[in-house]
Amino acid sequence: MSDYVFLQSQDPFTETQTLSQYQLIHNLATKDNRVTLYLIQNGVMPARRGALCKPFDLLCNQNINVVVDRFSLEQRGIELDQLKSGINAEDIGVVIDAMLRGDKVIWN
Amino acid sequence: MQQLKQLTFAFMDPPFESERTVSFFRLLDAALDKNADVCVFAYEGAAALAFAKQAQHGNAVHGHDLQQEDHPLTKTWIKALQDKARLKGLRFEWVNCGLCVDERGVNESIADCQRGGPSDFWTFAENAFNSLTIGTR
Repeated sequence: MSDYVFLQSQDPFTETQTLSQYQLIHNLATKDNRVTLYLIQNGVMPARRGALCKPFDLLCNQNINVVVDRFSLEQRGIELDQLKSGINAEDIGVVIDAMLRGDKVIWN
Repeated sequence: MQQLKQLTFAFMDPPFESERTVSFFRLLDAALDKNADVCVFAYEGAAALAFAKQAQHGNAVHGHDLQQEDHPLTKTWIKALQDKARLKGLRFEWVNCGLCVDERGVNESIADCQRGGPSDFWTFAENAFNSLTIGTR
């Protein structure tokens, strides 16, 4: 078992490869790895309530810790209460915490 | 006292083009906040981030002169990170890919940024507790 943190900057509505990235994240979580999905930049867009993206919602319903970058939310005028259930906002320092723990941190 | 850990970052985006640049600098700043030593390998377009001749400009469309526009420059951000590391007694190393700066004519970097090559990234990564590569698409 490994600990993975994916910095997800791409969003599924404009970048088709995002779906392949989601698939990898899904597969890693399915294989009993601990996975955090840190949504940053436009990667935060599918986290809005009402955003229609079944592959993303699948990740939210898995044993995956889905977190959004607070700064990216503020840049886009997205309020915390507009996020889908179970998604929390954190500052980017949590990514450094993960690196300092030795997690495998990957930029998408 | 807890031993300092070194984190290594590789980045490829040129200045003034992508939101990734801002995220990258936020990560470096956060790493210093967490008392990590930081080593950066600037590859391809990122080799221009430390270019000393970057200059602020006004913005006629917005009706701003140079001071009002206060256009951010990546060389200034790097200097700020260098200063922050120095104040905290942390290591902050910045190495530009030599071929990349030559190609782009941006060999005049701000102080304390070195010229090197991919082998420096290899060494940084080998000696680091952890590494993150942010590539272009």
